Amino acid sequence: MKDDVSATLGIYLCTGCGIHVAINADALQESICKAFPAATCRTHPALCSEQGTHTIWEDVRQNRLDKIVIGACSPRIHTDRFPADPTTIVERVNLREQVAWCQPPGTEDTRALAEDLMKMGITRVLASQAPLPYIPDNVSDTILIVGGGISGITAALEAARAGRQVLLVEKEAILGGRMNHLHQQIPFLQPYCSPVQPIIGDKVRELLAEERVTILTSAEIDHLSGQPGDFTVTIRQHGSLHTFRAGAIVMATGWKPYDPANLEHLGYGRLRSVITQPDLENCAREDHWDQLFPKNPVHGVLFIQCAGSRDPRHLPYCSNYCCATTLKQTTYLRKKYPGLPIYVIYKDLRTPGHLEQFYQHIQQDELLFMTKGDVTDITENGDVITVKADKTLFGESIVVDVDLVVLATGMVPSNTSELNLTYRQGKGLPDLKYGFPDSHFICFPYETRRTGIYAAGACRAPMDSASCMEDAGGAVLKAIQCIEAIKRGEAVHPRSGDRSWPELYMQRCTDCKRCTEECPFGAYDETPKGTPLPHPTRCRRCGICLGACPERIINFSDFSIDNVSAMIKAVGIPDEFEEKYRILAFVCENDAYPAFDMAGQKRLQYDPSVRIIPVRCIGSVNRIWITDALSRGFDGILLIGCRPGEDYQCHFIQGSELAQQRAENFKEALQTMMLEPERIRMEFIEITDCDKIPTLIRDYLETIKRIGPNPFKGI
Amino acid sequence: MEDVIQIKTDKRFIRQVKSLGGNPLKECMQCGACSVVCKLSPEENPFPRKEMLWASWGMKDKLIGDPDLWLCHQCGDCSATCPRGVQPATVLSALRHINYLEYASPRFLAVWLSKPVYLPLVVAIPALIILLILWMAGTVSVPDGPVDYSKLFPHPLLNGTFATLVILVLVAYWKGFRRFKRDIRKNQRAKIKGQKSKKNNQKRIRFFYQLKEILLHTQFRKCQTNRLRTLAHILVFSGFLLLLLVTLVAIVNVLFFEYPMNFWHPAKIAGNLGGLALVTGTMMMIWYRLFRKDAIGPSTYADWSFLIFLLLLAVSGILTEWARFGNWSAAYVIYFIHLVLVWIVIIYAPYSKFGHLLYRLAVLILLKDRR
Amino acid sequence: MTTRPLLIIGGGISGITAAVEAAEAGMEVILVEKQPYLGGRVARLSRYFPKLCPPQCGLEINYRRIRNSRNIHILTSSTVDKISGTKGNFTVRIERSAQYVNNLCTACGECPAVCPVERPDEFYYGTRRTKAIFIPDEITVPFRYTIDGDVCLKAGCAECLSVCKYQAIDLYAQPETITREISGVILATGWKPYDAGRIPELGFGSGDRIVTNVMLERLPVREFIVSLLPARSSPVIAFAQCTGSRDRNHLPYCSGICCGTTLKQALMIREQLPESRIKIFFIDLRVQGRNEDVLTRVLADPNIELIKGKMAGARIQHNDGLVEIEAEDILNGRKIRTTVDLLVLATGMVPEQVGLDQVRTLDNGYIDRDSLPDGFFAVGNALHPADVPTSVKEATAAALKGLQVVRSTPPHPLPIRGGATGIGI
Repeated sequence: MKDDVSATLGIYLCTGCGIHVAINADALQESICKAFPAATCRTHPALCSEQGTHTIWEDVRQNRLDKIVIGACSPRIHTDRFPADPTTIVERVNLREQVAWCQPPGTEDTRALAEDLMKMGITRVLASQAPLPYIPDNVSDTILIVGGGISGITAALEAARAGRQVLLVEKEAILGGRMNHLHQQIPFLQPYCSPVQPIIGDKVRELLAEERVTILTSAEIDHLSGQPGDFTVTIRQHGSLHTFRAGAIVMATGWKPYDPANLEHLGYGRLRSVITQPDLENCAREDHWDQLFPKNPVHGVLFIQCAGSRDPRHLPYCSNYCCATTLKQTTYLRKKYPGLPIYVIYKDLRTPGHLEQFYQHIQQDELLFMTKGDVTDITENGDVITVKADKTLFGESIVVDVDLVVLATGMVPSNTSELNLTYRQGKGLPDLKYGFPDSHFICFPYETRRTGIYAAGACRAPMDSASCMEDAGGAVLKAIQCIEAIKRGEAVHPRSGDRSWPELYMQRCTDCKRCTEECPFGAYDETPKGTPLPHPTRCRRCGICLGACPERIINFSDFSIDNVSAMIKAVGIPDEFEEKYRILAFVCENDAYPAFDMAGQKRLQYDPSVRIIPVRCIGSVNRIWITDALSRGFDGILLIGCRPGEDYQCHFIQGSELAQQRAENFKEALQTMMLEPERIRMEFIEITDCDKIPTLIRDYLETIKRIGPNPFKGI
Repeated sequence: MEDVIQIKTDKRFIRQVKSLGGNPLKECMQCGACSVVCKLSPEENPFPRKEMLWASWGMKDKLIGDPDLWLCHQCGDCSATCPRGVQPATVLSALRHINYLEYASPRFLAVWLSKPVYLPLVVAIPALIILLILWMAGTVSVPDGPVDYSKLFPHPLLNGTFATLVILVLVAYWKGFRRFKRDIRKNQRAKIKGQKSKKNNQKRIRFFYQLKEILLHTQFRKCQTNRLRTLAHILVFSGFLLLLLVTLVAIVNVLFFEYPMNFWHPAKIAGNLGGLALVTGTMMMIWYRLFRKDAIGPSTYADWSFLIFLLLLAVSGILTEWARFGNWSAAYVIYFIHLVLVWIVIIYAPYSKFGHLLYRLAVLILLKDRR
Repeated sequence: MTTRPLLIIGGGISGITAAVEAAEAGMEVILVEKQPYLGGRVARLSRYFPKLCPPQCGLEINYRRIRNSRNIHILTSSTVDKISGTKGNFTVRIERSAQYVNNLCTACGECPAVCPVERPDEFYYGTRRTKAIFIPDEITVPFRYTIDGDVCLKAGCAECLSVCKYQAIDLYAQPETITREISGVILATGWKPYDAGRIPELGFGSGDRIVTNVMLERLPVREFIVSLLPARSSPVIAFAQCTGSRDRNHLPYCSGICCGTTLKQALMIREQLPESRIKIFFIDLRVQGRNEDVLTRVLADPNIELIKGKMAGARIQHNDGLVEIEAEDILNGRKIRTTVDLLVLATGMVPEQVGLDQVRTLDNGYIDRDSLPDGFFAVGNALHPADVPTSVKEATAAALKGLQVVRSTPPHPLPIRGGATGIGI
């Protein structure tokens, strides 16, 4: 460590909250000052107090410090006391939750742990730079909205009212989407008694009156390239191409009805008088009842709910709106045919929330007959359709003769490849299940796997039109937020505010394109020569590319191959005679790191041999660090991240899965080095799994004890 | 053999149920809570949920001759629990009413008793016929002297007339009642498969067991919600029973002993107590129907007319007695009115709500124990 | 920043989301929460459906975003007393209860050991106790202790004061009134569980074996059920859906999330107690959209029985203390009367009272959206029964509404207080 570098370094050791009991702070301070004589180094009984923080900022001002290492409580605590600013890097070393609170006080091991962590932190910070944010020139404020149905129209209105320029692209000749096919709408306001006139007409009119909105109908996206803040979209309209710029995109391409051709077992296609809910809606809207009923119907109409829904052979999910739609449609039939019996056979009648009032009100229809049941047979007998259902509320099977059967079919989201992204990873938004754009759909529903592109409405999840309107508002907010973040040079969710960005040393790039393929967000395209082409504003700063690159050319200013390697080398490894193990643990900062903190808060004790390096995502761990750790003398390496799989927890979608695959590869590589593959272990924990941590570590140490210390130790 | 129901919905039936008090029945969401809270409903195929379903679907065939309707005491536990507020208790009352109409023979009598437009007819016929009998007996007059009702309507004639009328009515009614018995047996067999009928001596035991249950109101007392109604019914039931017995004793007395009986004659005391019980009970019931609609649902004309006639019967009976003791000038008129009311309540019994006596008894005794 | 901040009332998932999304879009936000911690009801859940993932996972990201944002000013232990003014130009009066523990607290954890007073832990729905000085949970923002002023002996005891090294405790603290000027209001006041004690026929309150769904979230399931077992090898747990919901005698609306919650809890119990058997009594199983996945999983488990028929009665048996339950198994046409080891009542949701003059509610307690004055927006469970994705969605959309208000009002020269502090004003 060169003195001139550490001259602007400030090192602060807090001795509060039990840290002074756990370690000998003065001795640690002495040791650090010896290693970094030019640095400003202090201890303080309560760094978070006003006096404590004052001391630090005074030093910063007086000694012109630009890098501060604070050994105190977890970086997740008191962030307001020790904020970083563009010119000062602040590194927090966790001496409280991850040393003082989880280790026996005053032992040699505890002190060694504290010293190692401080040195790791210092080393890291000395090898880091304050990020120079990436801000593209000429960030576009325009929001592109793809789809002119209720979601797209609402999005356009909301964006315009928030002061943004809007470009709306709709492939049909008119706006309105599927709501144009509605005769009436499910009620969305009190008293929820009857269907209401569709609001789409009013919405279209409102939109046409908005000044800031450019509407292109009969228009499709020919191709869309660029990155958030700087998208270029080429639109084909009536055969000619027009190019526009946009800052962020709201995808509101809606849905289509499930193809009833798959529902032959329910009579569709096979029998003349079996139609779908959308068919009935059309007929009501256009008043073409004679098409459905050539003769005046006398027997009745029967609705079969969940036709092709909640069925693993068709659509496994529930489409939300079909129960309320059937109730709505019974009013159409009732108005036209006052004396006609209407039957509804359902699996469950789903009218949650206030829609329960709607259900109760519609039930007052004297000739409406509803039962739970499984339809087992539909046959035609002349003009009459005979439907058989069992497992009904009658306790017996029933047979009903009707004139018409209506199948309540579900919603299938539109194909996102309509976006025609020129991204190397593909034209649309990656999906995981059921064709919906993949996201953390419970907590962060708008965040698709394409930064700056937000899905809204039925293309994102099944929902009725009232929900679509809310959804559109949210997506627009995210789009605006994205543009604003880009203007500040910051990342968006989940590393909101991060000003670092991946910088590639292209001279050493071998075009293997692992970064391009493994980035969950498609941040890399390809040049015509086949070289990865990064797009920094698409990036979520997870570092998965950093972990993927075999040539190690990808780095962030504060998270790089070198600074983590330096951290690894800063750890003091006891020689092989001391019979003490050293485990390097890469811990993902999203779920795993907080779990370790919580273990500390609960004062759960675990083995002191673990040295934690927090990483942005467990998928950002590069192979070289494993090699470095093993050559340094670490006996084992733990990779602890968030759950992968279909119900993944990983905040970067694929990081855990990729880490798991890479860990397998590492293990194979270890075997070629004549090392035991058990020296690397991948663990997935949930944020609430703090109780499992001591066992996890103890278990791993048993394995290490069994295979013995790293044979490269001391070499 | 699989059970399959061919659905046939009868709109007029649904309207009829609604008009007879079952107005909100379509809103039933088939949660089944009513069947569970009903202490009187059996474990297998309990009521009233399935009746609500059948009624909502207009399945008249299932409900005419449904024995479960007669196990219901309209205590209101189900209506109190019902989360939808569809009042199963009132719906079942309406269904019972429709059953009265279906099984009554001749039917027109039941119809007359269920519609207010026929009220004049209902009252006029007994009045005129009694007057006719009196005229033929030559006793249509207001006699002088201390009040002695036999002067107006000699006892042998009186007892003979009413006995004859009772027999005539039972004979006329028998056809309908036979149909009822056949239907309830058929409907129960359809639901409880594979159970053989018990031997005869067990039937007899069951008969006495049921009788005891009825006398003690064992089932009714299980109901939680409207406990005062249980009390009211006990009063009405025991009051009426007492008065019936007293009447029989009176007839015996007329034939063999002194009549009218002394006030302190045990039968007389019993009769007065019975009358008091009857008046109290019916007035409690009227209070319930007037002021506790939230608890027991709306009342129809059929409900009111039976109850009011019953009350008037009891009151007129008491007044008849007082009139004799007090030698009121209006005594014979009161007595005449009393006789008309006896006819309306007792002779018309199978065709009015009073018919529940016959139907319930039949279901309880004839069918296998469903509890 | 030269515009008035946005006020968000309620620090549950809706309020947190609105705050974070608005702040990252450039707005300044004041987040008012009546509890001493953020997270509302979701912080007290153990899992979300349908993924059976812990809520703390998403909350941690949001808390990180809050911590890293300079635009969010959080006022916990505070309620909004009054708002006056018009859109873009409101004045809010906030009442902050006495801050016996201030933000100098480092959560070092020395104080509870010396505190002599205990209280029921409302974070755990009363199934545990804490000291009078306590920290609600391991993940909590702000991460500091708090004193329950109702039970604390204050200056008469002061044991905690004697061990606190950070001058974080002031037992003479007084409530304070804070007045701010704001541009718009987002009502994210959320819900509370319907009181199952108002349904005597289901026996809540008569014993440990009858709990509500929210209580079950905070109970260590395996330990709790095992502690209830006498010697039964295979515990049976029953769930009663629509406890209080879809019921004109209680809550006429459907609370929307109880079916998903029960199915999730059933799966959790089965996972932790493989020998258990579960019976769920329902009217309709309402898990819409992708939430259907949780039902699909339940259907694959033969030890979870789904019975259509609302549970109408439950009581603790005197002889063995087990729970006797009654329902009709409608599809099989018979009454069920059986005993179970544990009964979980799936209670519904009731909106919290907002307590502002301008905000009118419907008969059922939910905010009447149409009557909200300009500049007021309601989201999530203040408006209607809503699950987490719906609340998040609405909160994000409300942040946009806030942005529109801020945009539509002229800039107002108002200095930011306190430098770069993120917590407390």
